[in-house]
Amino acid sequence: MPTDELSLVFAALADPTRRAILERLARGDATVNQLAEPFAMSQQAVSKHIKVLEKARLVQRTRAAQARPCVLDTVRLEVAASWIAEHRRVWADRYDRLDEHLARLGANGEETR
Amino acid sequence: MTDTGELTFRRVHAAPPELLFDCMTRPEHLTHFWGPTGTTTPLDGIVVDLRPGGAFETTMVNERDGSSHTMRATYVEVDRPHRLVWIEPESRGGMKTTVTFHPLDDGRTEVVTHQTNVPAAFRAAEAQAGFQTSLDRFAAYLERATS
Repeated sequence: MPTDELSLVFAALADPTRRAILERLARGDATVNQLAEPFAMSQQAVSKHIKVLEKARLVQRTRAAQARPCVLDTVRLEVAASWIAEHRRVWADRYDRLDEHLARLGANGEETR
Repeated sequence: MTDTGELTFRRVHAAPPELLFDCMTRPEHLTHFWGPTGTTTPLDGIVVDLRPGGAFETTMVNERDGSSHTMRATYVEVDRPHRLVWIEPESRGGMKTTVTFHPLDDGRTEVVTHQTNVPAAFRAAEAQAGFQTSLDRFAAYLERATS
C-alpha cells in the first residue's frame, strides 16, 4: 500500500474515539446508533468519525440493510501492524546478531562477564 | 519534546553493560552486527567520534547488488555504561535514538532502545492528525483489534 494510504490509516487511528469505535467493531458489526451509545456525542459526530474510518478503509458499511451496519475491515489494520513490525525487525535482527557476536567473543576466551 | 512517533525495543543480553556499551560504540564490534539483514557494515565505513556532538556514521552495503546506504548521526549523550543518545538529522523530523543499559541481578543486561520522531508514514500521519499514541501502545492495540 502506498505511503499516503498508510498515512490515512495512521491519521484515522490518531483519534481515541475512532480507536474505540474500531475496538467495538472488532467485537461485532454495529449500527451508527449502537456505536454512538457509549460516547457523549451526537450521532452526527460519530458519523463523521465513521466517515474518516471509511476513507481509510478501516470500516466498511454494508448497503443491504436499512440500518447499514458498520463492519471492521481488518486488512488495513494488518498492513499498518506489519509496517510497525518491519521497523521493529531491524532492531530485533540487529540484537540477534549482537548476541551471536557476544557468543563468539565468549568462545574466543574473552571476558563477557 | 512530544511523545509522538515513538518506538521502544527491549532486549536482555548475556553480557555486562560495559561490554554492551562498547559493542554499540566501537567499530570493531559494530561491523559484526550493525547492518540490517542482507547487508554488511565494513569497518572502513564506520565513523565513531564518541563524544556529544561527535559523528556516528555507518555505511551499510547491500550483499546482493553492492549498493550502499550511509546512516549519518550525531551523538547527543555519551555516558558509559549507562546511556547513549544519537540523532539522525537527515531523517525526516530528526529521529532520535536513546539506548540505555540496565544491569540485572543475574549478570545479564537489559538494553532498552527508545526511538522518537520515527519517520516515514508514521511521521506523515502525525503531521496530519497529531498522533498521540506511541507505536508500542498502538501495536498492542492493533493486535487486539485484529485478533
